[in-house]
This record gives sequence, C-alpha cells and structure tokens, in this order.
Amino acid sequence: MLKVRLRSVLTAALAAAVLLSVVTAAPAEAQPKEVKVAVIAPLSGPWARQGQLMQMGAEMAIDEINEKGGIKALGGAKMKLILVDAGDTAEKAKNAAQRVLAQEPDLVGGTGAWLSSFTLAVTEITERAGVPMLTLSYSDAITERGFKYVFQTSPTGGTQARAALPTILEMAQKATGKKPKTVGIIMDNTAAPVSFAKPMREGGLQKLGLELVVDEVFTPPLADATALVQKVRRAKPDIMLLLPTSVPDDKLILEKFNEFKLGQGRIPLIANGAHIGSPELLKNVGPQLLEGLMFIVANWGVKGQEAIIERFVKRTGEPWITQDSMTAYGDMWILKEALERAGAADSKKVAEEIRKLDLKEGPAALAFPGGVKFEPNGRRAGAHLVIVQWQKGKAVTVYPAELAVAEPIWPKQ
Amino acid sequence: MGRRSLRRDLFAIAGIAVAFVVALLLVESAYYRLILTLVVIWATMGLAWNMLSGYGGLISFGHAAFFGLGAYTATLAMVQFDITPWLGIPMGVLVGMLAGVLIGLATFRLRGHYFALSMLAYPLAMLYVFEWLGYQEVVLPMKRENPAAYMQFSDPRVHALLGLGLMVLALLASLAVERTRFGMALLAIKQNEAAAEAAGIDTWRWKMPAIILSAGFAAAAGGLYAVVLLVVTPPTVFGVLVSAQALIVCLFGGVGILWGPVIGAAILVPLAEILHGELGHVIPGIQGVVYGVAIIVIILLAPEGIYWRLRDRFFRAAPMVPDAVPVATAEAAVTPMRSHRPLLVLEGVSRSFGGLRAVDNVSLTVEEGAIHGIIGPNGAGKTTLFNVINGFLKPNGGSIRFDGKDIVGLKPNRVCRAGVGRTFQIVRVFPRMTVLENVVSGAYVATTDDREAERLALRAIDTAGLSRAEAAQVASGLTMRQLRLLELARALAGQPKLLLLDEILAGLGHAELEEVIEAIRRVARGGTTVLIIEHTMHAMVRLAERFSVLDHGALIADGKPLDVTRDPAVIEAYLGKKWVQRAADRVA
Repeated sequence: MLKVRLRSVLTAALAAAVLLSVVTAAPAEAQPKEVKVAVIAPLSGPWARQGQLMQMGAEMAIDEINEKGGIKALGGAKMKLILVDAGDTAEKAKNAAQRVLAQEPDLVGGTGAWLSSFTLAVTEITERAGVPMLTLSYSDAITERGFKYVFQTSPTGGTQARAALPTILEMAQKATGKKPKTVGIIMDNTAAPVSFAKPMREGGLQKLGLELVVDEVFTPPLADATALVQKVRRAKPDIMLLLPTSVPDDKLILEKFNEFKLGQGRIPLIANGAHIGSPELLKNVGPQLLEGLMFIVANWGVKGQEAIIERFVKRTGEPWITQDSMTAYGDMWILKEALERAGAADSKKVAEEIRKLDLKEGPAALAFPGGVKFEPNGRRAGAHLVIVQWQKGKAVTVYPAELAVAEPIWPKQ
Repeated sequence: MGRRSLRRDLFAIAGIAVAFVVALLLVESAYYRLILTLVVIWATMGLAWNMLSGYGGLISFGHAAFFGLGAYTATLAMVQFDITPWLGIPMGVLVGMLAGVLIGLATFRLRGHYFALSMLAYPLAMLYVFEWLGYQEVVLPMKRENPAAYMQFSDPRVHALLGLGLMVLALLASLAVERTRFGMALLAIKQNEAAAEAAGIDTWRWKMPAIILSAGFAAAAGGLYAVVLLVVTPPTVFGVLVSAQALIVCLFGGVGILWGPVIGAAILVPLAEILHGELGHVIPGIQGVVYGVAIIVIILLAPEGIYWRLRDRFFRAAPMVPDAVPVATAEAAVTPMRSHRPLLVLEGVSRSFGGLRAVDNVSLTVEEGAIHGIIGPNGAGKTTLFNVINGFLKPNGGSIRFDGKDIVGLKPNRVCRAGVGRTFQIVRVFPRMTVLENVVSGAYVATTDDREAERLALRAIDTAGLSRAEAAQVASGLTMRQLRLLELARALAGQPKLLLLDEILAGLGHAELEEVIEAIRRVARGGTTVLIIEHTMHAMVRLAERFSVLDHGALIADGKPLDVTRDPAVIEAYLGKKWVQRAADRVA
C-alpha cells in the first residue's frame, strides 16, 4: 500500500518538477547604452531562407547605423539586433514573440514575421505589450484589427489584387502604344492564386475591357503542361497571367512555352509574388526559360537604391537584393528615425513617433519608394506595386518608369 | 488495469492540478505562462487521442480533424456571428462529436493500418476545404470592451486555468473509461477485435462512443487553442503536425493510460520550446534534430512510453485477485437430466470460397447437454463450419437454428449473446490483460453488473481448472495449457448454452491433455452443451458421445463414436482406400 501511494506522489512530483523546470531559465541581462530591436522571422523550417534574407538586410542597416554613430538623441547608443526564430507554425511564432518580450523587456520595436499568419499571431502579442512591429506581410487582416502598434509597409493583398491588372495594362500600353484586349490565366488551385484571381474573374476583367480567352486551373503537381500551353497558342492572349505556386510546376509550364516558341517574352508572361524573383528559382530553372518572365511585387531593388544594392551584394555575396532584405533594411532605418525623434528608448514613444513620420529622403525613404508615412490604420501611404522582369539571368525592375532600372522586354505586336 | 484504487487516482489528479496552479503562481513571465497553457492544451489533445487510439487500439493519424473543427467553429462563431467562445467552444465540441459519428460510420469498417491511413485523409481534406472556403487566415477580433465575456483576459493565466479545467475533465473522463467495462471492451478490441466479437462484445457499439468522446475533447482543445493563439489557419489546426503532436505526447508519456499524455505534454512541449528558444537562432533547425533524437531515444528505451517503463521498473505491483472463493456451485453433483432436445440444428448449410465448397450441404443436430465431436482430416471445413455458426462467415445457403431461433446473418457478438460461446484454434487472448481480466471480458455478455461479471469469471476459472495464482498472471506469459484453459474459461464466463471448442486439444502434452479433457467434462456436467472440433480421433473417442465426420466440406458420417470409427467412408477419408479393406478383413 505504501509503495502504491508512493507511486501517485511520484507521478504528481514528476509533473511538478517538469513544470517548474520551465521557470529556471533566467532572462538575458540587459546591457546599458544599447537599444534593442528585434527581427522575428522564420529562421528554421520551410521559410528559413526568407528569414535569413530579412536577417541580412536588418544586420546591414544596424551596422550602418552604428558605424555612423548610433542613435544620436540617446547619446550615441548603439542599436542591437535581437534575432528570434519564428519557426514553422503560428504557434511557434507566437511563442517566440512572447519569449522575446519576456527576455527583453526593453525591446523598442521590431520587424517580422514574413508569413502573414505568423505576423498575425506575433502582433497579437506585441500589440498587447505596446511594442511597434513593422511588417512586409500582405494580409489585409493585419491592419484591419484596429491595432495601434503594427505598421504594414507593403501594399496589402487586397490592394495588390486590385492594382495588379491596371498596373500591367498601364505598362503594356506604354510599351506597345495599344491597350491589350485579351488575357489568359493559368493557375493552380491553392490559396494564394485563388484569392488573387477571384476579383478579376468576378467582374474585374470586364471593367478593364479585357476578355478572358484562356482560363485554366489545375491541381498541383502538374504532370504535363502541353494541353495548357496548346490552348494558349491557339488563343494568343495579349497578356498571360501565370500563377502556379511551386517551382516544378513553374518550370514545366515555362519549358512548354519555350517549346511552343511562346517564351522569351513573345507572349508577355506575368507571375505574382516575390518567390518568382528568388535566386533559387534561377538556379532551378535557368536563365533561358526565365527570360522575359515578369512578376508583380510590393518592393524590389529600384532606381535610387543602387548604392544600397551594391553594398548588400558586396557584403552578403547574394546576386541581388530581394524584397525581404530590402524591407528589413528599411524597417531598421524607420526604427532609427523614430528613436531619434522620441529621444527615449521607450517602445510606446517610438510607436508614437512612427505614426507621425513623414520621410521623403534618407535610407528609410530610399528603401520604400514613395517615402515613409503611415495612415491611421498602420498602412504605409503610397505603397504601390512594381513590376520586375527576368532579363539575362537577372530580375530587374521595369515598371513604374521612375523606379525602373531597365526597359521592359515587351513584344511589339 | 482497473486494479488501482479509485481514491488514489483522484488524489493523483488533484495533485497534478495543484502542482500546475502552484507552478502558474510561481512563474513571473508571460512567456512561461503561455507555455504552461500550451502544456495543458496538448495534454488534453493527447488524452483525447488516447481515448480512441490508446484504449481501443484504433490508431488515428487524423485527430487534427476534430481539433481543427473545434478551432474553426469557435473562431467563425465569433468572427461572423459575434458569439463568444464561451459558447463557441461547446458548439465546436458538438461539431467535433458529429464529425466523430460521421467519420466513425465511414471508417470503422476498416481495421489496423487501413483505419490509421484513412484517418490521415480527413484533416488533409478539411485543410483544403477550409482554404477553398477562403478561411486561410482568420483572426479572433480583439475586444477592447468587456473582453472577459469573449475569453480575452488581461491576465493570461486565466487561459492556463481554463486549459487545466479542460485537462482535468479529460482525465476524469479517461478514468471513467478505464475503470468500467467501456475500457475493458476497448482494451479487448485493441488486442483482438475478432476475439472480442466472439466474446460477445459488440465492437461497433463501443467504438462509436469512444470516437465521439475522443472527438469532443479534441475539439474542445482546438477551440481553446484558437482562443489562446487568436489566429487560425488551416495548416496550424488541420496540419499533420497537430495529429502527430497528439500521438507523440501519448507515445512518449505512455499509451493506454491516463497519465501518459500528461507526462508526455509536460516534458515535450517545454522541451521543444526551450530548444527552440535557446538554439533556434544559433543553429536554425537544430532544435528539430535534438527534439527528434530525444523522441527516438525514448521510444527505443521505453517503447510503450515513459509511464509503463517506470511502472514496470519500479512499481510492479502484483495484480490483486480476490481470494474469497465464490459460491462454488456443486456442479459435479448435479448431473442434469438429459432432455435430448435439439439445441442446434443445421440444415443444408453451405459456404463456398470461390469455387471451393468449404462447407457443403451440412445438416446436423446437436442435442442439449451432449458433448458432440466434429472430426475430419485437415482442410475438411471444420473451422469454417464453426465460423459460419458463430457469425464470422455468412452461409451461402441453408438454415441454422439455435434454441429454436434462426441465427443466420447475426453478428458474432449477437450469436454470442444468444448463448453460443467459442474458443479458437489459434489462441486469441488479450495479452496485456491478466487471466482474470480476460475472463471478465467474456462475462460481460451475461450481466450488466461489473461485480457479478467478476463473480461469474471466477467461477468459470474454477470450472476450467485454473488456480487463483494463475488468474493473476498476465496472459502474455502463459503456457499452452493455461492459454487453452483461459479460452475455455472466457467462453464459459458468458454463460453460454452451447460452447464451440476449436481444436482445444491441439499442441498439448499427455498430462495436459488429460487435464483439459477433464475440464471439458466438468463444463458438460455443469449443463453446457459442447460442440468440439478435433482432427485426432484418439482423444475424441473418449470425450464425445456423438461424432459427426466432415470430409471435403460434406458430412460423411454421423452417429455414436464406435459406429462412426468403423464406417468405411470415415476410414477412407482418414487413411485411404487400402485401409478400408484391411479394416473390413479384421472385422471379418
């Protein structure tokens, strides 16, 4: 009987011991004269690469800021980057945010968390703690919650879906002098393209006077793209939207386009999302197939950023700068500007200053073409889309003209 | 199972709850409070999984389906109809339970790996459905006014306490399952579904409430998870990781025991977080490697989970078997009057497998109180005939009347309830249960009272000739004699009118053979009719008072043992034509 009672006591004791063991890890000690800012991004899991790109951008900005004398309003205090792995689930991202706030109570702000669902989870924590978070995530929901401490630097998903086609049409008209009349869509049935194409199908195309001549939806993975591309060859749309979400499918379709002599910009192919411009895609697919492919994105290396890009390429060995790095770079500069104005390493005051910012020049304004100014809901005013095109193995901005670093290759029909 | 005292278990649950509250009060940081909250949520999820898969052995790779439905119901109720999670979570539980019924109806016809793999499909399908419906990212809106009415507390410890309450409920439910015939039936199903059916356990009737209960708790855990996380996306609630987490905390902590998931969650959830927090930004991804290695090591060292390992190592208490001999019915004294009433009547029963007629137009009458032997060479169709009688197989034609009623088409457990018990040629016991528990599971058909069931079981054990010491042994370590007697006792405990014994004498040595034969005689003297299959003529001649001989599925002789053994057709079937002549010469 004694033995038996011992067992239940032991069970309870074991549970208690484990629970208590959680308590023991002490929070890291704060060092004086440092202002802490965080990058909360996926550094492990399927989105680790994007997190690393953000880290590179943020580190470059921090180094530049500190080399130039730190935060002058705080007596030259250095900025210190706290790197937080958001992992591969929203739960981990939320835990990460809670952890960094517990361990770094003097955090003044940060950027993150790349994936919209992560950002939503992370900002639930930072909002309650009153710590400003800047984000490049697209989801409209991020700034629809009435939050005061989240700042969205990219145009939202909804804005992009609405603005994408008019932007493409503008560019087409500038390139050819004619208004395109027909459009084709090839997409898979995953979430991103479905929500991107929905407003277009539901009257968006009609309003722009476009006729949908090819409309193909497939379930990934694609086994053979022949049938799809044959339809495109028959219909010859003036512009072609290509919205698969996986690299193998991208590759299969692009190969077919080339085989049918429709590639290399003979039919303007337009994709969506920054992943189309990643150096990995170049490695996987090769420059020939990509040549002429365009994509719409919220931020890219544009005219005026040449110096930043050059420093970045030199520093990291990356072939060019992507949206992830450029945004994280700019976010750090936004935090720096707000700190200078707040004159205190206080997250609420910093947030207050971010709300009042109106930057037209300086590194922050360079990183975000159109300048840094936030609407009351936290969205960056004047955030607009750019179109990037693969040209000779490089993804270069071709539209709008004031930001373009190259002329678009567009078939003169 | 079922031998721990109830008070001690309740005490341990209270102990865990108090330890949790103390930890919660000691912890200063909101981060550790969040981790504590996640511990109880995942423990609840593990307990939910354990109710179906731990006790019942119906391994589910798809508990995320219920978790996700609970999460989405609570979330969408709040987002679209402004219904507070206080109501939304119970609604989610209902939705989860309903899904449990539908999934059960569709999936319970599958067994083993097939069941596990089809369960995998449900959350994956739901994941795409919810993406397609446009619920890629749903946010529970922040309520600045009256937040507590929407389960949004300024002090996040309330979430942890809510989670604790849910976990305690799940623990109590698990306790109720473990300590009643519900748990016993599930355990029997887990160990051998066919034997459970033959022992009169309506497996369908027990699997259904198990999945409903399990789904309900999984949905509640999902609902609370959504409230804590505030963001719901299909991958986070329907993803494979969710199902895996439920499974892992159980496998790690201990399968089929209520403490298992609690131990698993209390160790693994903080471990994963600490690894993530300490290593995630240093060597990205290394936390997953360390976590995975930790799990592999534990599974290698403790294949059934930490709890069982610790118990086997330190607390191996001998199971208690009541010493008090139940009213030993003086069965030997009462030799009931033989009524010669037909108890089992087969008329023209046939069963084919493709072109093979395994049982061919067999007509046969078993009289009440008899020991009736069915003999025949290997492959004569004897076991098939038994399977047809007890409902594992449906006859292609003919009628089977038992005790005046037609039993064709009844499920095995129904046939058992009607009064037909059976044993198996290949022993089918429940290896992790003790002998007594094995036999008790067979007694449930005869009574709804658990105490009465134990009394009947003990009497059956006595009749079979097993000792009390043997009754306390775990079935996995028994000798062939003990296994045969155990099967006999288990079948007998259901108080059958007719007992089908399938080659119960096979594989026994001489002394053991005598013992089992004596046990069978005791059974018959007790008034139970025995129909026994054997292919060795030798023992049967002494045991049975009537023989039926099967060959190639057909009945070739029927009568008194002596007459049958002299029948030329029987000798031919057994020994070949040459012997028929020799036998005839000898008689002459």
